[in-house]
Amino acid sequence: MYETAYARPRTLEEAVELLQSDEDAKCLAGGMTYVPTLKQRLAMPSLLVDLSRLLSRDIAVADGFLTIGAGARHVDVQRSQIVRETLPALAELAGLIGDPMVRNRGTIGGSLSNNDPAADYPSAALALDAQITTTKQQYAAADFLSGMFETLLDDDEIVTHVRFKIPVCAAYSKFASKASGYAVAGAFVARFDDDVRVAITGAGPCVFRADQLEEALKGDFNVWALKGKTIEPEGLLSDMHADAEYRAALAVEMTKRAVHQITGA
Amino acid sequence: MEMSGEHIIPANREAVWAALNDAGVLQACIPGCEEVVKSSDTELSAKVRLKIGPVKARFSGDVTLSDIVAPETYVISGKGNGGVAGFAKGGARVHLEDLGDEGTKLTYEVEAAIGGKLAQLGQRLIKSTSEKLAAQFFDSFAAQFEPEAA
Repeated sequence: MYETAYARPRTLEEAVELLQSDEDAKCLAGGMTYVPTLKQRLAMPSLLVDLSRLLSRDIAVADGFLTIGAGARHVDVQRSQIVRETLPALAELAGLIGDPMVRNRGTIGGSLSNNDPAADYPSAALALDAQITTTKQQYAAADFLSGMFETLLDDDEIVTHVRFKIPVCAAYSKFASKASGYAVAGAFVARFDDDVRVAITGAGPCVFRADQLEEALKGDFNVWALKGKTIEPEGLLSDMHADAEYRAALAVEMTKRAVHQITGA
Repeated sequence: MEMSGEHIIPANREAVWAALNDAGVLQACIPGCEEVVKSSDTELSAKVRLKIGPVKARFSGDVTLSDIVAPETYVISGKGNGGVAGFAKGGARVHLEDLGDEGTKLTYEVEAAIGGKLAQLGQRLIKSTSEKLAAQFFDSFAAQFEPEAA
């Protein structure tokens, strides 16, 4: 056994102070990744700072942007009338995360801060050019999601809001691991007035944009435009579920399905 | 799990070789390394703190240098125990080639394995993590020879 202190601060300032007070402190949102990690003793923090009751869960639309509080659970996003009306692809994505238990506890802020290479939200954040606001500053998702399980967050920094740019239309398609629900490969396709963005999750060490597919779709937003287009397997993940070549092919297929969802043809 | 790579280090071979045998340099370059203690010319012990996403484990282990042909090549191998998290072991054959004015070409072949809970949870991540750690090591190692570090 080992000892862990637990704190449930009432304000963000208090939470940040607690995190600064102890180098082995760790903050906890929904705990859907971290609590299993703790149970396995793969992490042994001396202090847990529970943010679950202090983070905003607000969801609002203004000036072409959808802003979601970091504490919004996946089920909140999935069922939100506002999200369903302005960005239905995001509500659908939230409904595909994990299982009902995970969706009832897990939060958007937690998911983005963890930046699991197979998580769903990072693809939406990258494709929708999201701004991620923390207790210190604002980041573009492309910078913030900096590597495998890596973000630009400091140990005493907490994500407070995520702001998505609302596209003309968008769709998310993933090939999920049967056991975990994590993406073996997933594609978030977003079409803007003057741009098309395709973000791939699950396939690489970190979410990335598929340039070649984006170019093809900018020319002609249609499944057929993707014929013969590929994603380079070099640098993608290989594991017991799928090797890099398979993942590359799967990511293209998921992109096609997402485009198909949008165009219906 | 195997990987390999090469780096050009802007220093002569003798200096690179000395650094590869210097506990202080190794400690500065091994990602997350908290301590390296040299118990003999060929034996060291190390404490390394590994952080991958939610996982944070502290490994302590022994490092052995073998097949030494100074100043050209050696095999550095280690075995670490991360307590309940599992264990990790691995070795690298390091080779130095003198490139004259350009410096020294360092090539390495690594073989590594992890076991225990860490392996169960981390199977999909081992390769990317190892590659990242190796890259960090050699970047820091090369940086030791930059003019401002000298």
